[in-house]
Amino acid sequence: MAYSRKRNRRIFLGFMVPAILVLFCTTIYPMIYAGYLSFRSYDLAKLFVPRVFVGWANYREVLSSSEFLHTLTVTFKLMLMTLSVQLVLGVGMALLVTQRLPGMGIIRTLLLIPMMISPVIVGLVWLFLYFPELGYLNYFLSFVGVSPVPWITSTQWALWAIAIADIWQWTPFVMMGTAAALTSLSQEPYETARIDGNSNWEVFWHVTLPQIKPVLISLMFLRAIDAFKIYDIIFVLTKGGPGDTTEVLSMFIYRQSFTFWRMGVGAAASFVSLAIIVILITLFFKSLSRDPQLA
Amino acid sequence: MKHVKSALLAGSVAVAACGSAWAGEFDGIELKMLGIGDTSVTRLAPIVDEFEELTGAKVQIDMFPYPGLIDKIVIEASANRPSYQLMWVDSPWVGVLGESGALEDLTDWVIRDAEELHLDDIIPIQLQENTWQGRLIAFPAAGMIWHVNYRKDLFGHPDEQAAFKDRYGYDLAPAKTWQQYIDIAEFFTRKAGETLAGQTLEKDFYGNAQAYSRVAGAITHDFFPIMRSFGGQYWDDETGLCAIDREAGVKAAEVMKRLVPFNPPDYLGLMWDIRTGYMERGEVAQSGYWSVRTVRLTNPEEAVLPTIGEAGYQPSPTEDGGPMETMTGALSFGINSKASDREKEAAWEFIKWGTSRDMMRRFANEGSGVSQFHKSILSDPELQERYPYYQVLLETQDTAKRRIFHPFYADVEEVFGVELNKYVAGETDSAQEALTNGCTKINTRLKVFPLEMRLRWIADPKADIFN
Repeated sequence: MAYSRKRNRRIFLGFMVPAILVLFCTTIYPMIYAGYLSFRSYDLAKLFVPRVFVGWANYREVLSSSEFLHTLTVTFKLMLMTLSVQLVLGVGMALLVTQRLPGMGIIRTLLLIPMMISPVIVGLVWLFLYFPELGYLNYFLSFVGVSPVPWITSTQWALWAIAIADIWQWTPFVMMGTAAALTSLSQEPYETARIDGNSNWEVFWHVTLPQIKPVLISLMFLRAIDAFKIYDIIFVLTKGGPGDTTEVLSMFIYRQSFTFWRMGVGAAASFVSLAIIVILITLFFKSLSRDPQLA
Repeated sequence: MKHVKSALLAGSVAVAACGSAWAGEFDGIELKMLGIGDTSVTRLAPIVDEFEELTGAKVQIDMFPYPGLIDKIVIEASANRPSYQLMWVDSPWVGVLGESGALEDLTDWVIRDAEELHLDDIIPIQLQENTWQGRLIAFPAAGMIWHVNYRKDLFGHPDEQAAFKDRYGYDLAPAKTWQQYIDIAEFFTRKAGETLAGQTLEKDFYGNAQAYSRVAGAITHDFFPIMRSFGGQYWDDETGLCAIDREAGVKAAEVMKRLVPFNPPDYLGLMWDIRTGYMERGEVAQSGYWSVRTVRLTNPEEAVLPTIGEAGYQPSPTEDGGPMETMTGALSFGINSKASDREKEAAWEFIKWGTSRDMMRRFANEGSGVSQFHKSILSDPELQERYPYYQVLLETQDTAKRRIFHPFYADVEEVFGVELNKYVAGETDSAQEALTNGCTKINTRLKVFPLEMRLRWIADPKADIFN
């Protein structure tokens, strides 16, 4: 008996150790090191700048910087723009693809493609579409008499251009999650609602939506966390410009760390960003536990 | 005949190289260069096998786009085991690379090999451009100035000349003042369907193309030379702090903003290459940029303009049309200070071979010239006829000034890139506000260093190779 327990323990450790090692090397150690850096003045490019302990100075600099507050505002603005459209479109598309119509299986698969592409490639695809003068989008718009739109080079359009690319990529994710929820719904409430003479809209509003609410909230939070970290598409399309119109929090961290090489300040900004994500996740779980249906 | 000439030149380059490195001298040595995909490297890359045959060393050139290249160099410089022995260096980087000790000091080698290098034939400012605290840490592979390229064919068209005189009251000629430059930009900006030099335009034509993008500080690469043409300085002589927000800087930023309506609509995204592309395709009347790209305007294989019109070349305009030092720049090769001694020797041989006067003349004769830096090449009447901008390159460098070379250059480029981009995009109310914001950010970073250090960083003692 004792031998068996010991043996099981060995097998258990044998399976766990590689995972723990990978986790330690790729997540835990970098995080500890980033925490250490965030309290130091550490300039990677200027080797002559003393690398010393500076206490909370990096955090103070980040939190008091108007640039940081601006990037935070842009991040939340972009999050709001993308989430609202993704949610509405995603639910609409899910309702459509769950209909028993010919060819729907193929359509569903095709709609999922954007989600499977790397964000950098998505950025490049949209760069070709948006490219001023030579972009396909303006070329096609010219056929319907629309004059060229400076998609990524205008302060009015740039954030929308980013949002459109993000919506294109991630709406299928909302669609997929919602479609899965829709297909698992019980048919009984629908039959009752129809016998009572409710319209399609009333059925959707009073029967479907309450049932898929938990899934929608989960999807919304998952997307919110992702949208908060958005970086790749912006890096490829605008690099934060024009001006600072599309400068999100991740771009701020990147510029501090890899343009100015101020690794300490970049690390401090990363931890502030992490704190905000933790708050978002906490809110998510709180909302889950507060709603009896969700709990 | 052309082939015979090329073969003779190739032979002379080989003979010149043999003068210092004997066949097989560097057998087993592998040199890797962290380079750029631009003329100073692309011309050389296809012929490195000639160097390999001469010396036995193997050479691999990795080419990257300019944005991000300094990041790779910085990482390379901070690594204990270098992957690259040779580095392509833009002259504003010498401060950060020099102060960090990332590049080998070439001074003694240059003094030793002065005759072989034809040192007295190199434009002095091109050498000075590569110094840090008087020591030469990189060697020029291309020398450049910021100047104006224009459509000579359009400027000389009688209809355009008459219309311009009628509208502005003076003769149409390459701009000597910034006001003239703005007038010309406005005059030539036309919509599709309008007439230009007697032809109906199929697409919009622009009066000017300038780099306004914030990416990699592209906008600063035009702003600083314009600021220089107003007599501006980067730093305060007494404090070593930012002086870009003074009168000259404000005037330069205002000129750039006044030019906005005459630029292509995607002006906020115009990088160096996109901007030069407009000129190379003949879609703008004038554009000021670094001569490293001007070489393409003479080559029909690289630009459309030589087949549809003719490019003219002119020094940068100034505030009142009077003389003002032009801004110079050097694209150079340096040696990683962490390379082994043998690798350093081989790398130095490579630099001598790849930047030699014979090699530069060979490039010019083959039609794939780089922006030259030898007096004898730039003043050669035959080459001047073929490359008319040589005259401008030669004349303006007599009084040219160095580009920024401060260890905090990357910070300046990025901070002012964003601030100026915001200003031209209309996000900041005035040029003064934009530049003051920029200076405040830079000064915050500089003030933690002692005055003595800040003053040393802006000092430009004469290169020791001239003593």
